[in-house]
Amino acid sequence: MKKLLRENAIIFSDPEKCLGCHSCELSCAVAHGGGDLHAAAVQGQTLRPRNRVVAAGGVTMPVQCRQCEDAPCAFACPTGSILQEEGRVAIREKNCVGCKVCVMVCPFGAISVKAEADPPTDGRTNRGVARKCDLCAHTGREVPACIEACPTKALSLVDLEEFRQSLLEARVAELAQSHRYLIQRKVKP
Amino acid sequence: MTMNYSIDPSAATLLPLAKKEGIATVWDRHKAMQPQCGFGQLGVCCRICWKGPCRIDPFGDGPQRGICGADADTIVARNVIRMIASGTAAHSEHGRHVALAMLGVAEGKLPDYTIRDEEKLRAVAAKLGLDTTGKDLHDIAGEVALVTLGDFQNQDHDKPCRWIASTLTEKRLERLAGLHALPHNIDAMVTQILARTHVGCDADATNLIVGGIKGALADFDGMCLATELSDILFGTPQPTVTAANLGVLKEDAVNIAVHGHNPLLSEVVCDVAVLMEEEARRAGAGGGINIVGVCCTGNEVMVRHGIPLAANYLSQELALITGAVDAMVVDVQCIMPSVSEIGACFHTEIITTMDDNKIPGATHVPFREPTAAENARQIVTLAIDAFRRRNPQRVVIPDAKQTAVVGFGAEAIVGALGALNADDPLKPLIDSIANGNIRGIALFAGCNNTQTTQDSSFVTMAKKLARNNVLLLATGCGAGAFAKHGLMTQEATLEYAGDSLKAVLTAVGTEAGLGGPLPLVLHMGSCVDNSRAVAVAVAVANRLGVDLDQLPLVASAPEAMSEKAVAIGTWSVALGIPTHVGTMPQITGSPAVTKLLTETAKELLGGYFMVELDPDKAADRLLAVIDERRRGLGI
Ligand code: SF4
Ligand code: SF4
Ligand code: SF4
Repeated sequence: MKKLLRENAIIFSDPEKCLGCHSCELSCAVAHGGGDLHAAAVQGQTLRPRNRVVAAGGVTMPVQCRQCEDAPCAFACPTGSILQEEGRVAIREKNCVGCKVCVMVCPFGAISVKAEADPPTDGRTNRGVARKCDLCAHTGREVPACIEACPTKALSLVDLEEFRQSLLEARVAELAQSHRYLIQRKVKP
Repeated sequence: MTMNYSIDPSAATLLPLAKKEGIATVWDRHKAMQPQCGFGQLGVCCRICWKGPCRIDPFGDGPQRGICGADADTIVARNVIRMIASGTAAHSEHGRHVALAMLGVAEGKLPDYTIRDEEKLRAVAAKLGLDTTGKDLHDIAGEVALVTLGDFQNQDHDKPCRWIASTLTEKRLERLAGLHALPHNIDAMVTQILARTHVGCDADATNLIVGGIKGALADFDGMCLATELSDILFGTPQPTVTAANLGVLKEDAVNIAVHGHNPLLSEVVCDVAVLMEEEARRAGAGGGINIVGVCCTGNEVMVRHGIPLAANYLSQELALITGAVDAMVVDVQCIMPSVSEIGACFHTEIITTMDDNKIPGATHVPFREPTAAENARQIVTLAIDAFRRRNPQRVVIPDAKQTAVVGFGAEAIVGALGALNADDPLKPLIDSIANGNIRGIALFAGCNNTQTTQDSSFVTMAKKLARNNVLLLATGCGAGAFAKHGLMTQEATLEYAGDSLKAVLTAVGTEAGLGGPLPLVLHMGSCVDNSRAVAVAVAVANRLGVDLDQLPLVASAPEAMSEKAVAIGTWSVALGIPTHVGTMPQITGSPAVTKLLTETAKELLGGYFMVELDPDKAADRLLAVIDERRRGLGI
């Protein structure tokens, strides 16, 4: 049977609700570190978030990978490390050489190329690989960590089918409303 | 579901009821608060000036310094010692209040109070080095009060507070003086912490923590004086049999819950209630007036008068959900502001009494010592009126009630031991420790915390330690937990104590006329009464010619939450006592502060913090420490 073709899910950030507290960054870093917050802090681990809270033009919101359908990063990657996989854009970190081409082509600045921890270079490699939001795949979570952590519920995981459906319904409801108004006023639309 | 929240059986009855009625409790609010801010949990968020808030990236990728340049170590150290300052302020305001009341009594201005323990007054005067020969009681009380108030006023930095100087071992005093950590003035210590943590002041984490330790020792000073002067005014605790948990509420009585910390008002409420029994009966309460305690006001009246304890910190709301409390009278500290909202769901009067502690929605009866009885009468009248409005259909009193033998202050413990050896009461205790019948002593203190299933860590640890022959003391909401769960009974001793501990407790209890063993856990009083345990420890140390950091003595606050607990824990460490904390402290964002408190403190002070969230493992760690200390003493 043919699989239903769905658009990649995305994390939606509501700039109206975001307070810029950076909780989403912290929880992202901890989720990908594999441990808990206090242990990571006590052990002095270097953990890196895969989202970044940005303030510009009077709004604050975290920015992370859009999981593009025709992803420039995947297109540009010379080692073929970036690919579409189960409704998201995945990076095969072990194949990444850290050339940063993806960084240059990503329209959102969603990729960083750094080592997960801060190991000394061994003379040959800095161990930096491309990282970005992976919707918390392989972290064993049901809901991405940032969404869980946001105290104002500014973040949500958007399934585009559902999102579009509710958008359409809202639009239709609006139209119906104005239609009724026009009929009441006996104005021909 | 309920059992994740609390192991208290009354919670199992009342939480489903709260849910049905749509009343939110502390556990619902805890859930709604999840997840909690990681920066706050690590202590790396600074809001000390309006350039902030600043927060340090604990993982090294983001900012490492606040706008002013403060790093994680500075920020964490400032935050934690500010908590100590607040805890110290809370205890010592309580102490000042009692000291001023004592002065008022001495001057004959407070007709509703008397000196109930004359012997203790003389003992305290002697301890403070006052010459009392030929002086009458009121003169002595006046002098003691003035000397005590001196601990809030002394401006000579080289002269330590009188109470602390007369309370600790010589060696401890020298050691603390060597670190410049002996407080000279309680108020000054609180002020100094606030001053040095102002933007642009002390930035050295070690120096800040030493300042915090000094503040915490001022807290100890304030606690000592509050406890001892309260004993003089209201009586020194003696063993009594009473009961605990919400089953102590009575369906046919006007139930008044006294809640908070300060005995000044609750004592008078108890006195006045006896006189107003008839009035209550006329209002239809066949059982008259039933006073019950909540939190440490509850502990205060429990150890002094055997008044039953209804709830500890986390179950204060449950008391109201029974629909049987007619008035909850609150003074200071640990009163959830939610009580007025929950009270409003029922007929319950929530009555605040202190002008600096009001709660929106509560009735305020301004309490003044010169008119204490009149104020208490007003309060009891409000309670009786509320009783008339009570809806019997909504009354659900859980069938949870445990006997509790309480009231083991230092005097009572020494008194009980004296039954075995009148000339040298400490000898039986010391011998038992030396021969290993008592492996060590553990003091349980502190709060309940929604991060731990209510009471469970206390109970788990106590059972394990008792089985391993550790003598258990408890204060505050920890004591409340043990009382509610039946661990302050002779039966608990027979059931849970290791063989040699059981033998010692039985010998002492039988000699002391209890017709059986002492209870498994000895209730020493409220959280301000932790100084009682120190008094016993100091007596033992002096008798052995050693310092506190050599004794097989440990402390634990497995469910700590308040700033007062931070202050108590810190002075406990400063006195040389290894101190377990079962709540993750908000310091882990600074490796330097964490190391200072958990490791370096050991060299500097002998005492240190141990963080262990798992109560079973925590008990093992405490046993290991006790054994290490025993080896140190060669026993
Ligand atoms: S956690 Fe929420 S409020 Fe805080 S920065 Fe991220 S999106 Fe904004
Ligand atoms: S990293 Fe950038 S380019 Fe690649 S999928 Fe995400 S948003 Fe698109
Ligand atoms: S005191 Fe320093 S770290 Fe704290 S809020 Fe102000 S600038 Fe930031």
